[in-house]
Amino acid sequence: MVQLRNVTKLFGNFKAVDEVSFSLAPGCICGFLGPNGAGKTTTIRMMLDILKPSSGAITVLGRSSALAVRQRLGYLPEEKGLYKKMKAWAIIAYFARLKGMTRRGAKGRALELLERYGLKDFAEQPTDALSKGMSQKVQMLAAIAHDPELVILDEPFAGLDPVNQQVMEGLIRDLARRNRTVLFSTHVMEQAERLCERILLIARGRLIFDGSMAEAKRTVPRRVRLETEDGIGPLRDLAEVSAVRPVAPADGPAPAPGEGCTHWELELREDADPQVVLQTCFGRRIRLKSFNQSEPSLHEVFLRLVGPEAKEVRCR
Amino acid sequence: MRAALLVAGREYAENAKTRGFWIGLFLFPIIIFLSIQVPILLEQKATPVRYFVLVDQSGSLAPTVEAALEQSYQRQMVAGLKEYARKNLAAPAVVAALDEVKEGDAQSLEAFVARGGKEFFLAQLRPRLRPGAPAFQAPRRLFQQVKLPPGINAEGDLASIAEELKPYLRQDKSVAANGSPVALAAAILIARDFENQIVRPQSQSPATNHQFQYWSANASDPRLREEVERAVNTEIRRREYLARGLDAAVIGQIEHTYLACTSLNPKKEKGREAIGTADVIRQWAPSGFVYLLWVAIFSVMQMLLNNTIEEKSNRIIEVLLSSVTPGELMMGKLMGIAAIGLTMVGAWMAALFGILGWKSGGASELAGQVFVVLRTSNLVPLFGIYFLLGYLMYAAFILSLGSVCNTLKEAQSYMAVMTLLLMVPLLTMAFIPKDPNGLLARVLSWVPLYTPFVMMNRATADPPLIDLAGTLVLLLATTLAALYMAGRIFRIGVLRTGQPPKIVEMLKWALRR
Repeated sequence: MVQLRNVTKLFGNFKAVDEVSFSLAPGCICGFLGPNGAGKTTTIRMMLDILKPSSGAITVLGRSSALAVRQRLGYLPEEKGLYKKMKAWAIIAYFARLKGMTRRGAKGRALELLERYGLKDFAEQPTDALSKGMSQKVQMLAAIAHDPELVILDEPFAGLDPVNQQVMEGLIRDLARRNRTVLFSTHVMEQAERLCERILLIARGRLIFDGSMAEAKRTVPRRVRLETEDGIGPLRDLAEVSAVRPVAPADGPAPAPGEGCTHWELELREDADPQVVLQTCFGRRIRLKSFNQSEPSLHEVFLRLVGPEAKEVRCR
Repeated sequence: MRAALLVAGREYAENAKTRGFWIGLFLFPIIIFLSIQVPILLEQKATPVRYFVLVDQSGSLAPTVEAALEQSYQRQMVAGLKEYARKNLAAPAVVAALDEVKEGDAQSLEAFVARGGKEFFLAQLRPRLRPGAPAFQAPRRLFQQVKLPPGINAEGDLASIAEELKPYLRQDKSVAANGSPVALAAAILIARDFENQIVRPQSQSPATNHQFQYWSANASDPRLREEVERAVNTEIRRREYLARGLDAAVIGQIEHTYLACTSLNPKKEKGREAIGTADVIRQWAPSGFVYLLWVAIFSVMQMLLNNTIEEKSNRIIEVLLSSVTPGELMMGKLMGIAAIGLTMVGAWMAALFGILGWKSGGASELAGQVFVVLRTSNLVPLFGIYFLLGYLMYAAFILSLGSVCNTLKEAQSYMAVMTLLLMVPLLTMAFIPKDPNGLLARVLSWVPLYTPFVMMNRATADPPLIDLAGTLVLLLATTLAALYMAGRIFRIGVLRTGQPPKIVEMLKWALRR
């Protein structure tokens, strides 16, 4: 469906994208993650043949230029805008026609999509009379009106309220249900976690992770959180435990050094079984108030893989 | 090409919906219509009748003044009859008797009156009128004499009379004319002893020249004063001839003896070399087209700039570029806006021909002559060619500019330079028709930025073939080169954000291999 081989993009001396390679299989939802300025938008623009790579090769739907298969592609850019004076249906129909639909077919499809996504009453409104959320939905509909095989969405959730974010999620799921391939970039990890089967993580222009969601989570050590007023010395000696650190309780501040700590987080070695920790607690009479074994979130995966560069993202 | 046509279609449709387009479309025809109709209306209705009083204490000049004003009215009558004949005769038949009357010739006008005046000539016209022709409306007398207001002594000294007339002349009081109160426009006062004040060469100038006074609060309409002054001085000279023992009749004949000078143009067809009004129109009409060309190019350039910057500032450009190539986008925009421009100038031309055709049917002789000049010259086709090439050349600059600017404000500094460059053809517009094949015209013709305007201005002056063909080829080559360079700048510029680049940097983009 899409293949990038050693793609590099230089702007003067600045390397925006550095030897990036990946491929996308048909019918998957793939999250394209990375901090600001990591090279996501530049990579997407190269995939769409809006920018030419400095080196490397890109194949989209079997062709070396996305423009050759533009009728099978849908694109929602990061910075969104519409022609202010055009009516909502007309702008969707215009982009659908640019992608090869007939005049009548494009209009029918535009009206159908507007009705399906709750914008029927705004079809005849000029786009400058629409709210930001509505405008973004209209733009999304314009990107998919021609029923493309590959949909590339750059920050589709940015600026949307929770209700509209859900609508957008539903829209992406609809596409996947119809076996369309979706690649989207986002800073909202929760959405990526809910939607994506596959993650591409890019930082400083380099692809630092390419794999399934499960694989992504495996990059972060499994952790166990427990609460006890007893000493946890025996747990520190376990071969399965690689690190132990005190953590703040959910309803209070972290204990100062030297004070008695009751909440602990244990980092486990790869392939370690958390049951061993539990059995040790029972065997060594460590009285537990709580024991919680959880998967790392994508947010944690992101922080771990991207490191200091993620600070900006965490502040968002 | 389909994508470019779709872009062009959208550009056309969206611009055709703007208020500016419709204002531009209708403004020119309205101006043309008004510039023809307003003088007609003013002539027919709006020019007010000037009421005046005449106090001639000498008693010897009043008949002269009255006769001169009557003759002026008969001149109006002849012009009115000729106009009526031109509009209403069934065929363009010439009524010889009427055609022989020369409005500008006093003796001819006297003959006109002697033959029976209006009634005689209307009788001549009647059998030849087209069916349903309206009745002849005699022109109004523009200058009508009224009696001195009651209470003013016509025999008093002029200063007192003038003082007493001032409230009437200032419109504080009105005078009576045909039983109705009317405003007094002027007072003509001639002293009893005016002869003492006549200025003669080789004699001392009189101490005062207040023996013949023209009072009026309206200094902007000198026609009555000119008529009266001319009549009085003609009479004074006639008396002077008599006083010096010269035969006034002979002098009158001598004064009407002249050698007519005919202006001829060697470039015209043999036997038709004489220069007429049509030739003067032919000389100056290109200037009108230059102005139209300037307005048309400037208007569509503004549209192109606004659209390009809107797409860039709204970031629509990125979606567009995922759907069309930069080349298709640029071509679509060029075609769409060109179509808007052609619609505009097409509508202007249609309106121009329509209004001139309509008005040349009778109402305006000048309109008829302009109509003939436009139909028989190459002005309109040349206008089309120069509009398209000029538009494409300037559009290349505008697209380059629009692609690198994020806001209209950013574009303004560049536009200021372009507007200054575009002022040159406007400033030289009036000089070129006076010397259309002179040095200034020829040099400017070879500057491609100005070729459309200057060559348009020289269109009816038969410029040398080398100028006509050479400048056209140079303009075409410049336009193609500008479009090629614009394509390269556009492609890089449209996705660029931040400060606009320097012109040198843009040139590097355009020329980089």
